[in-house]
Amino acid sequence: MLEMITAIIKPHKLDDVKEALLANGVEGMTVTEVRGFGRQRGKTENFRGSEYNIDFIPKMKIEIVVPAENVDRLIAIIGEAAKTGKIGDGKVWSTGVGKLLRVRTGEMGNEAI
Amino acid sequence: MNSITLKERLRDKDRRRFFFAFLGGKAIGLLVAGLAIVGFGPWLIGTAAHAVAPNADVPIGDVVNATNTAWVMVATFLVFFMQAGFMMLEAGFARTREVVNVLQECIVDTCLCALLFWAFGFAFMFGVGNSFIGHEFFFLNGAPSTYGSTGIGFMAFFLFQFAFADTCSTITSGAMVGRTGFKGDLLYSIGVSGFIYPIFGHWIWGPGGFLQTARGGVWMRDFAGSTVVHTIGGIVALAGAMALGPRIGRKFKRDGGGLPPGHDLTIAAIGGVILWFGWYGFNPGSTLSALDFEGIGRVATNTTLAAAAGGLVAMAWVYPRFKKWDMGITINGFLGGLVAITAPCYWVNPFGSVVIGAVAGVVVVLGIDFIEHMRIDDPIGAVAVHGFCGIWGTWSLGLFATGQWNDVKGLFWGGGVKQLWAQVWGNTLIVVITFVVSYALFKAVALTKTLRVSEEGELEGIDIHEHGSPAYHPESAFMGKGY
Repeated sequence: MLEMITAIIKPHKLDDVKEALLANGVEGMTVTEVRGFGRQRGKTENFRGSEYNIDFIPKMKIEIVVPAENVDRLIAIIGEAAKTGKIGDGKVWSTGVGKLLRVRTGEMGNEAI
Repeated sequence: MNSITLKERLRDKDRRRFFFAFLGGKAIGLLVAGLAIVGFGPWLIGTAAHAVAPNADVPIGDVVNATNTAWVMVATFLVFFMQAGFMMLEAGFARTREVVNVLQECIVDTCLCALLFWAFGFAFMFGVGNSFIGHEFFFLNGAPSTYGSTGIGFMAFFLFQFAFADTCSTITSGAMVGRTGFKGDLLYSIGVSGFIYPIFGHWIWGPGGFLQTARGGVWMRDFAGSTVVHTIGGIVALAGAMALGPRIGRKFKRDGGGLPPGHDLTIAAIGGVILWFGWYGFNPGSTLSALDFEGIGRVATNTTLAAAAGGLVAMAWVYPRFKKWDMGITINGFLGGLVAITAPCYWVNPFGSVVIGAVAGVVVVLGIDFIEHMRIDDPIGAVAVHGFCGIWGTWSLGLFATGQWNDVKGLFWGGGVKQLWAQVWGNTLIVVITFVVSYALFKAVALTKTLRVSEEGELEGIDIHEHGSPAYHPESAFMGKGY
């Protein structure tokens, strides 16, 4: 059984999360620059004396596919590494994965991780 | 494609109205221009009689002073344009989140420096006083028509020197990118532009400065400012970077990290070349005389040769490390060559310039390695380029000066060590005292808790934290209604 963990975190926490995952047996990950908001909503910035509102603020999205038995542990690890305790720290969740193929070798399922 | 004929166009009423208005306007314009040429032409451009017989009543001094002033003003504008080069270089070598901050620092340093130099900087530096500080021309009061014996309009000379002071103050910001609080920047800039640069500069360039006092007929020479502008700027930058500490998360080479790459190498490269261009005002303009045509040509050529040698040598020196042709270090290399040739450019020959520039190319690379090894975070390389190459350039005069001009003769041309000693002594004194005073200044500013931004602000990015705006905005759809 495979699951995909998706984490939305503060950009400057990416390195911490990467290091924590590498130290816990995760060997690869995909990262995307994304924008969004949660309960913190947007924030204001200013330009030439007037204010404007940024509704969608920059975040990093990390995606990793892992064996289902590791999911709880890895989610906890990401949560710990990404935490600043301030608003806007982000979210981590997992979803089920149907099939997985390693393109180079043709391996399927857990072997393809 | 454009198959509509004029006739068809004229059928449309609006087009017809526009056409006649346009034609009418042109006709009126031509008429006015024609009348002006006929009516005022001779008055404006002179008649043939003027061209043949120049007014012999004009004293030769008036022509000389005007020519020199025009030359110095051209040089002034070139030196001022170096600000654009600095801004582009520093912004390009910075990370995305600290671009607005570094640009704003350069702009505000320029504004501050202009007012401070007018109020008292120029008075400290170029006013007559004692051998340590000048005190004349505060707020440019009591200005004569020309400055001293230079024959240059006083205000033109002031502006030329302001452009130099501004260069010095901008150099310092380069080593402090990304973590200096803006209030702290204002405070230390007042200290650097208003006091450190003018007072230490007075010792070398001011009337009666004590480093010019002849010792056996040989005194410290600094033609365009390897010591006055670049060593002082670079050493202040070093003190600033040390007092601030590195940016958060900055890992140094010996800790398994390295310098974070600049975010825009196009801007950085063009900025570097603009600096090179501006240097043609910096060095040749320092002749302060358009009549010294031979000197201007020599200085400009020497400047070019040193820059070229510095760029190539720095690139070649770094090549074996990764077998790559590193652009960033090539830019630092030619800038190092330019900084080094700034002091000796008038007194050395082209071959000497090439050697001075080539050595500067090595000094830059070793200097950057040294700064990295000492765990000092200098994002632009200001300390190596301006500080270390400024020191090398000042010393090199004592080695390579040929003795053909003003009897300045270096060690390699049979002048003995007298000139070299004067250079080393003067430069070392400036290095030590600049470092001590500026480090104390930074520590004093740090006491006000304005020198460095908060950790939170630095992580969010100093641009948004200090200036409320990133350098590069996202797609405007992210900004909600109205954009």
